[in-house]
Amino acid sequence: MRDFVVPKTDTKIVGKIELEYAFKLAAHYDPPQQSHTPRGTFRYQDIVSGEVSGERVNGTVYPDSGGQYDTVRGDRIRDVDAHFMVKADNGEWLYMEHVGYRRPDGYYRAIAYIETDLTGAYEWMNNTTFVVTAKESADQREVVFYYYIAN
Amino acid sequence: MYSEDESITRRRFLGGATTAGAVALSSLARSEHAAAEPPSAHAGNEALPPAWFEGPDPSIPKAGLRWAFSATVFFADRVMINTMDSPAGRGYTSVGGGEIWGPRLQGRVLPHSGADYYKTTFTTYYMFQAADGALIFIHNRGTMRRFAAPYERGKPLLPPPAPPAKQDAVWTRFRATPVFTAPIGPHDWMNRTVFVANSQRQANPDHTVFTYYEVL
Repeated sequence: MRDFVVPKTDTKIVGKIELEYAFKLAAHYDPPQQSHTPRGTFRYQDIVSGEVSGERVNGTVYPDSGGQYDTVRGDRIRDVDAHFMVKADNGEWLYMEHVGYRRPDGYYRAIAYIETDLTGAYEWMNNTTFVVTAKESADQREVVFYYYIAN
Repeated sequence: MYSEDESITRRRFLGGATTAGAVALSSLARSEHAAAEPPSAHAGNEALPPAWFEGPDPSIPKAGLRWAFSATVFFADRVMINTMDSPAGRGYTSVGGGEIWGPRLQGRVLPHSGADYYKTTFTTYYMFQAADGALIFIHNRGTMRRFAAPYERGKPLLPPPAPPAKQDAVWTRFRATPVFTAPIGPHDWMNRTVFVANSQRQANPDHTVFTYYEVL
């Protein structure tokens, strides 16, 4: 391995991030279907429907437009990988992707990446990082995602 | 595998054959980061209190961020395939090395362990080495957006002025979301924690400081 000498720098700095609440999404899922794979337990859950609500966006999850394609690891933590489409009330489409962890201790957090029409009303969501806190029902079929913008 | 000699040759080649696009991007990135939020000086590894954020009504769960660690990263080679204006544009910015400090992780950026292979968004793959020797893989996705002025709580962010207006005041919101793969042991918490980071480009010598927050 080639070496690298770290040059001296003057100050150690800590940059700020502020979260700003944006909207919530209530998702309704089919029961999870699990299968054993070389990577762990694959857990598929179809998104049946859902509602988006907030000051800056309201809409509907396009039925059966995707779901969660998670992996339950050996340590019982679930790697969350969710993809689906939302149709906003004004007719524009949103592609939503979520990457995160759901732990047995109740920690259910993710990062959401959203892609929208460059000329549309929700263009502000492009190149915006969303921090997501999720709450799950006991049967895991109702999940509410709360989206905060990382400003 | 490259031998040491071959890799040196490769670096020399890149040094001499840097494309105009890469040079342009390099200077662009510098000006973009010049207007980053003012950094707060920090002595080193002591923990900072978490920050909590809430929605308009109490039924919305709060979201918290806690400073986990920071990384000072020195980038080395810069290459562009096509330009960033082209849909096929792909950039390569290699990671030379760096230092990691903070309350939850100390160590170094493993020299020449990877790069940012960006398109319109950042996609970075490289390695950390913790002070205890553990190798930690970082896969970082980033978003970047420019605004007229830095974010202030309760105020809307406005688009930047169109060129050729002075770009000095422009605020670039760069946010990175790393996924770590750490060995089982003291750094295992990184495998089950969601992170969000920002970056601040610093001059003399040119480097970037990434501040990593754990999402609580």
